[in-house]
Amino acid sequence: MSKLTTGSFSIEDLESVQITINNIVGAAKEAAKEELGPMGPTPFPTTAAVRDWSFTLFDRYEPVYTPMCDQCCYCTFGPCNLEGNKRGACGLDMKGQTAREFFLRCITGCACHSAHGRHLLDHIINLFGEEMPINMGASNVIAPNIQLVTGRQPKTLGDLKPIMEYVEEELGQLLATIHAGQEGAAIDYDNKAMLAGILDHVGMEVSDIAQVTALGFPKSDPDAPLVEVGMGTLDATKPVIIAIGHNVAGVTYIMDYMEDNDLTDKLEIGGLCCTAFDMTRYKREDQKAPYAKIVGTISKELKVVRSGIPDVIVIDEQCVRADLVEEGQKLKIPVIASNEKVMYGLPDRTNDDVDAIVEDIKTGKIPGCVMLDYDKLGELVPRIAMEMAPLREGISAIPTDEEMTNLVAKCVACGECAIACPEELDIPDAIQLAKEGDYSALEYIHDLCVGCRRCEQVCNKDVPVLSVIEKAAQKAIAEEKGLVRAGRGQVSDAEIRAEGLNLVMGTTPGIVAIIGCSNYPAGSKDVYNIAEEFLNRNYIVAVSGCSAMDIGMYKDADGRTLYERFPGKFERGNILNTGSCVSNAHISGTAHKVAGIFAQRNLSGNLAEIADYTLNRVGAVGLAWGAYSQKAAAIGTGCNMFGIPAVLGPHSGKYRRALIAKTYDESKWKLYDSRNGSELAIPPSPEFLITTAETWQEACVIIAKNCIRVSDNNMGRSIKLTHWMELSEKYLGVMPEDWWKFVRHEADLPLSKREALLKILEAEHGWEIDWKKKKIISGPKIKFDVSAQPTNLKRLCKEA
Amino acid sequence: MVDTTKNTKLFTSYGVKTSKAITTEVAAKLISKAKRPLLVVGTGVLDPELLDRTVKIAKAKNIPIAATGSSMPGFVGKDVNAKYINLHQLGFYLTDPNWPGLDGSGNYDTIVLLGHKKYYINQVLSATKNFSDVRAISIDKNYIQNATMSFGNLSKADHIEALDEIIDLL
Repeated sequence: MSKLTTGSFSIEDLESVQITINNIVGAAKEAAKEELGPMGPTPFPTTAAVRDWSFTLFDRYEPVYTPMCDQCCYCTFGPCNLEGNKRGACGLDMKGQTAREFFLRCITGCACHSAHGRHLLDHIINLFGEEMPINMGASNVIAPNIQLVTGRQPKTLGDLKPIMEYVEEELGQLLATIHAGQEGAAIDYDNKAMLAGILDHVGMEVSDIAQVTALGFPKSDPDAPLVEVGMGTLDATKPVIIAIGHNVAGVTYIMDYMEDNDLTDKLEIGGLCCTAFDMTRYKREDQKAPYAKIVGTISKELKVVRSGIPDVIVIDEQCVRADLVEEGQKLKIPVIASNEKVMYGLPDRTNDDVDAIVEDIKTGKIPGCVMLDYDKLGELVPRIAMEMAPLREGISAIPTDEEMTNLVAKCVACGECAIACPEELDIPDAIQLAKEGDYSALEYIHDLCVGCRRCEQVCNKDVPVLSVIEKAAQKAIAEEKGLVRAGRGQVSDAEIRAEGLNLVMGTTPGIVAIIGCSNYPAGSKDVYNIAEEFLNRNYIVAVSGCSAMDIGMYKDADGRTLYERFPGKFERGNILNTGSCVSNAHISGTAHKVAGIFAQRNLSGNLAEIADYTLNRVGAVGLAWGAYSQKAAAIGTGCNMFGIPAVLGPHSGKYRRALIAKTYDESKWKLYDSRNGSELAIPPSPEFLITTAETWQEACVIIAKNCIRVSDNNMGRSIKLTHWMELSEKYLGVMPEDWWKFVRHEADLPLSKREALLKILEAEHGWEIDWKKKKIISGPKIKFDVSAQPTNLKRLCKEA
Repeated sequence: MVDTTKNTKLFTSYGVKTSKAITTEVAAKLISKAKRPLLVVGTGVLDPELLDRTVKIAKAKNIPIAATGSSMPGFVGKDVNAKYINLHQLGFYLTDPNWPGLDGSGNYDTIVLLGHKKYYINQVLSATKNFSDVRAISIDKNYIQNATMSFGNLSKADHIEALDEIIDLL
């Protein structure tokens, strides 16, 4: 029997009958085998297919469990006390339960990005059709995550559909294993988390490919326009629309309406979280400066509402605070829900007339509504803003001077707010100072505060603590104006070809990818400090999402942001913003591209080999300094599976599972040389796949160390050791303890310190030095062989 | 003496097991009797008053210091045995009986905690609490539920006074 293909067919002898086949079950997998040339061993992998690679990683990078709770409360056998690694009534022990909890976070994050991708893809295909060619800029490798994981190389939007179907099927299979009585071994939950992680990157890639292709976003553009960012950028004299969430689909209709009706200079539109980023990418492939503004991160949501500036809030999905309707109501700010995932109990007015809805909102009959018809949404939101602005004039939750005096006077310094504060801020002391008329401590707290209002809920005197903090910080807020480069999308193939050798040899010391949310341990300037430190040291700094916004909030003495000081290419000493949360796929995809384009490795369905290459040769470290979300857990875990280590902030211990190696166990620090299968001793880097640090200074030292790779040539190793040593001395006051473990040859030593370091090697480590030639005669446990082909995979060795 | 046991209030709970609130006397006795103690400090010890007490405690019993976070600069030139290690990494290594320790002499039986973010140390200690026998004594300003024993929530003044009492008792 001949094989069926998609398309429309007529049948002979049957007039007026046409059969249309849109989709064939399993066609994608079949096509992967037939059309795509060399295929690795794991196209469209399931749990079992990725297990070997996961377990190879876990052998060195052991799962480290830090439970959030002694108990499991998941089924009706419980609650069970698992303290001390006891087993619950179902038989699952504490490690298993903790691994399951971590996995649940990863799968939730993956579902979030993938469902976002599904919504966008269906919406965009509905508008532009399945045949629309994918356009990510001038590259041949346009979907590196999809190609690596599934083996497919999509060419059109329609080609993305079977990819989404695969992700959705696996998500269902994975979700099933959360159920009681399914998986029992912690390490197998960890493997499932790794699969969820790579699926997450596939889902993210689908999302961004769809919107970059169809919505006029910048395409691999290092000169994407600069965008205003910060609470101080909003012009409150105009009616203000605030969009919150991650899915820009609905907001594009609002922007179209504004443009069609000459409202772009009459209304102010700003966004929080990643919708904001994508608003500024919308129809900006021509590099025209966006009129939409980025207000900030989830930490700013409540602060913006309390300011009273928004005249209407439109929400879509992800990272939308659950109290926006309640908070908005207090200040007559209507909330319009534009996505089925977040409906907040609001009446669904999708089928109603826009005039009637505007009237009901204006008169306060409803606090907002659900509106899923985007044509109506486009008209509704600007009209509400214009109607509400005059009615809302002067309404704000920020206390007057007199109210402020009275509010701080009520505080009895009981300390409840300090215990409740997730950032452990010294609110009581700051308020005591405010009683004396000095608001400086409260103003200082403003940037450290994540705007959660836990403090208010425990206050015995009903002080609206957040509003009090915001009152004290009014001047600082007015000055919160920065610039961030709009998301550029992917790194192009040409950029990879130009930079690949430098990366693999180590002469470009590393890629530092600063991503994720705003749950920072000490305010938003941390990410700026880290980015600046590594840019000044000629690393490539890749950024995305909320971190990218916050990096743009700070300026040097000349008033320039990092985006103005450093260019946006994939090149040493550049800062490139890939875009919103889903654009993180372009950061992991860059690593795959190095292996695929520079090293000519086959990407298709070849997960383990490419990840192995990245782990051993691409000095990339991710930093999710303020990670709070389940999505961040999934992104980081996907990076781990792809061979990219990640450092997280101290809050992220709450994700419950890290992957850390025992640097003292020499048996773990060996690879094969694929030329002959012999063993290679390697230095302990990266020494983790995912871990946490306490301060940004510590993170800088950790990042520099963990950019070291076995493939570094002498100059590369020397450069990397120089930065690591300098950062350790700068931020920890001492040389690193174990720097000598990374020395293979005297040429590895930083030139300026070579003689002094040779003396230390001789005196403290017993190495033999030829002082006439200043050469190492014996001592190093690791050797440098420029031709060695390091791998964790025995199957890649010739003898295998 | 400062009552270091009176306020053990939590905003959120890590479950059923809660550290025992201890007096300065008990803390000092446990530190003195430990066979292999390790003073594990966070970046909070860079507060000058706290740093002074940390150095005194370390010197009183010649206790090595695991300087986590970016606390290490506080100990340079202070004539104490301090080494940098990442806190999360340390928490993991403490659960491994084969860890050679910071000095190559083996793992520790007692860790003494000071200068940490409450949420961070609690999370790291959830590993030692559940997967090791190490005794964790928190002499920090905040009540640390996942330690084996801990001071309650103290004001800064009471905390410094309590540390001074420990120093006198060592």
